[in-house]
Amino acid sequence: MEAPQYVAARVQGALAEDERTNELGIRVDVRGEQLFLRGQVSCEERRELIADVASEAAPGLVVRNELTVVDVRTPEEEEKL
Amino acid sequence: MSLRIAAVGDVHLGTDMGGRYRSHLTGIEEKADVLLLAGDLTRHGTLEEGEVVVEEFRDLPIPVIAVLGNHDHHSDKPAEIAAMMREAGIAVLHDDAVVLDVNGERLGVVGGKGFGGGFAGKCASEFGEPEIKAFVNHTKRIADRWRTALKELEADRRVVLSHYSPVNDTLAGEPPEIYPFLGSYLLAEAIDAEGADLILHGHAHMGTEKGVTPAGIRVRNVALPVLGRAYGVYCLNGDGRC
Ligand SMILES: [Fe+2]
Ligand SMILES: [Fe+2]
Repeated sequence: MEAPQYVAARVQGALAEDERTNELGIRVDVRGEQLFLRGQVSCEERRELIADVASEAAPGLVVRNELTVVDVRTPEEEEKL
Repeated sequence: MSLRIAAVGDVHLGTDMGGRYRSHLTGIEEKADVLLLAGDLTRHGTLEEGEVVVEEFRDLPIPVIAVLGNHDHHSDKPAEIAAMMREAGIAVLHDDAVVLDVNGERLGVVGGKGFGGGFAGKCASEFGEPEIKAFVNHTKRIADRWRTALKELEADRRVVLSHYSPVNDTLAGEPPEIYPFLGSYLLAEAIDAEGADLILHGHAHMGTEKGVTPAGIRVRNVALPVLGRAYGVYCLNGDGRC
């Protein structure tokens, strides 16, 4: 069986290099049969696309999609320097 | 006079995202005097995405100054994207400077993409294979150009705009193993030598907003996921009022 670290690295590489995602900042952890995705993305569609690309790169694992969508607020405060 | 600088990086606009970010820019002129974009404006750096960036940031009521990021280089079209943006009135820095008159004060902005290499004591050096030397040399050349641009800059306020980070403070939250790919202390060293009022960068999506250089210049990581708001606003003035 392939060591989980190599699986995680392959998924991370796929997320960065796949034209559909090109996401560099996603944390990928493999624990047993589960693959965890963590980090922040810009919208719901990307959140799902990333899970799709990850599951293609690691078939057979259950993808736990813990990515959160960044909620862009309108700025209220300013910082005085 | 107060000088209010709005800044954001890593908006990563795709072709399916036209208009989505622009909606947050309504009324920006009430909050800020200038908008700085800290790179990674696109996802893949294609001309189609460059067009989305142009439409998103053109014809704002305040001046817009940008640098590109690594994603904007992915399709080997950074010069073309920069040209499209300039055509639309957006200044794009490439290791050089621009000076604007804002409320009667000269705001000088120096910068460019920047690059990696790591931080003092834990960094790559120009030794060994040509690939490693080329990597380190790229950052060194950039730092030298910033140093020259800052030395020659004639302005009342000095801001450095980068994509990569000059310090590791603002990387807190990122895995330490990838710090060398997130920035380089050579950038901070050059800026510290010539002086600036504020440094803005992006790239480290999981980092932290606030940091400082060894010489005490404030650094702000304005990557959109870090800010969690459409842009940060930083008010520069001597008397502590805005
Ligand atoms: Fe980015
Ligand atoms: Fe980046």
